[in-house]
Amino acid sequence: MVTARELYEERLNRIKTAVALGKPDRVPVVPMGDSFYLKYLRVKLADSCTNPKLFNEAILKAVTSLGEVDGIQHPSFSVYLLSVLWISELKIPGRDLPEDDLWQVDEKELMTVEDYDTIINQGYKKFLDDYYMHRLDNLNAKFQQFVESLPDAIKATQDMGIVPFSPGITTIPYEVFCGGRSMSEFLKDLFRIPDKVQAAMDVAIEDIVESARQFCRAIKPIATWVGGWRSASEFLSPRLWQRFVFPYYKKLVQAVVDEGVIAVLHFDSNWTRDLEYLRELPKGKCVFSPDGTTDIFKAKEILGDHLCIMGDVPAALLSLGTPDEVHNYCRRLIENIGPSGFILAQGCDIPPNAKPENVKAMIESVKG
Amino acid sequence: MGESLTTYMGDLMEEEVYAEVKRQLDEGVPPEKIFGELQKGMEIIGERYQAQEYYLSELIMAADIFKKAAEPLQEKLKGSAGETVGTMVLGTVAGDIHDIGKNIVALVFSSNGFNVIDLGVDVPVQKFVEAVKEHKPQIVGLSCLLTTSFDSLKATVEALEQAGLRNEVKVLIGGGPVDEATCKYVRADAYCVDAPAGVDIAKKMLGVA
Repeated sequence: MVTARELYEERLNRIKTAVALGKPDRVPVVPMGDSFYLKYLRVKLADSCTNPKLFNEAILKAVTSLGEVDGIQHPSFSVYLLSVLWISELKIPGRDLPEDDLWQVDEKELMTVEDYDTIINQGYKKFLDDYYMHRLDNLNAKFQQFVESLPDAIKATQDMGIVPFSPGITTIPYEVFCGGRSMSEFLKDLFRIPDKVQAAMDVAIEDIVESARQFCRAIKPIATWVGGWRSASEFLSPRLWQRFVFPYYKKLVQAVVDEGVIAVLHFDSNWTRDLEYLRELPKGKCVFSPDGTTDIFKAKEILGDHLCIMGDVPAALLSLGTPDEVHNYCRRLIENIGPSGFILAQGCDIPPNAKPENVKAMIESVKG
Repeated sequence: MGESLTTYMGDLMEEEVYAEVKRQLDEGVPPEKIFGELQKGMEIIGERYQAQEYYLSELIMAADIFKKAAEPLQEKLKGSAGETVGTMVLGTVAGDIHDIGKNIVALVFSSNGFNVIDLGVDVPVQKFVEAVKEHKPQIVGLSCLLTTSFDSLKATVEALEQAGLRNEVKVLIGGGPVDEATCKYVRADAYCVDAPAGVDIAKKMLGVA
């Protein structure tokens, strides 16, 4: 009888081998399906989305009934995490939406041009504390509940022999400002007041790096997400991307890696144009995790000897496809992107309307 | 010089665009002509976007410059009822509040001569039906960014069918997860990779390409 501990070590070893670009005994599978798990269990989204303990229980219950996974990306979740990432308001099921509707980020222009000056002159922390309190209804208190729940969620996952792979999320100032200003306003700022935006980013990144370091030291995760959404190559010209996006990722990823933690580049939308740049990130210490939009085969070609790749079963395939189609897609990934330096997962997140049989087919596919 | 206004617009030279519009207005150039030059500039933007010289960042900036530059012309253009290529009823479907893609579509279509009726985000199915009855568009544009909105897309198309309006319009869909399979699933006429591609498809459908 294999104990949970032994199972955990075996699975962790499988994942770590893949991240270090080696060839594990088989390709590991590390899914994430926050809202899907709740739907699958027929648990109301409204009850769990602001209660990280309930969320952790639901994730573990769902994932163990769907198949044998090596790890899960988030052992717990809270919608307030999204509010922190993009300093935006949310539409929350049970509060602003029907109890079983999916939460959504309600992007408005909450951050002003003057806020860049506040950040530059008074510091990012001062700006953020004030913003959380007055513009996001004391967000810090709500978010702390999530942070405090993490150690128990991580332990509960480990106790089941499952690797709680990447419990935290951090990102660059571009994402935060873009969410706060709203995407359209922010993109115009990059044309009209580029120097001011950059000066504010240069202040903010220092605090973000420090927070990421503190998180790594306190939680000691195996990996953490360094996420990218609005800063994807497809949304902005190379000139802007090279100035406002990549230097900040480089700094943040290096800090995470320096703490002995794997950086998961959870990169949604299309990053194909700039894949070459990612070769500047520490070799064998990061995971490139595209969402089905970036050309994953191109990613393998350019990054295959440098970064582990994780992904990328598309959301639409999981919701509209058949188990056979999912199986075939996964096998194609396992054989062509793997078997070395590859972790199988969905692209981005398993959507709430995914068919459970498709998720099962994905998890099962690593066995052959 | 009309040509330079077009070039300024295409090159996103914001201050020069505004100054040139003002200069031409002061000199008594007909507002229709000035507006036409701005539209030509937007065509350059669209071409450069498709050639991947420009990205969403430039599209959004261009849209803003275009809107501001056209403001002093709007009053004068009223009544002269400029020619339109066609009418489009546009919105993000019920349950989805994403607006950026939809706004870009509105701008790119209007700068290409379409009369765009923008119904906003989280648009109930019935509102689309009523808008089609009222505005009699040739094109209905449905946007979404969530796979959970696929059923809203489908419901909207079905409602048009039930109202007997489906044959009157072409339904174009677009947004992050939308692909050919989605198009088939919701029974739309075409899916658009991005806004300029949508304009091409719409123009072909209307026989004005």
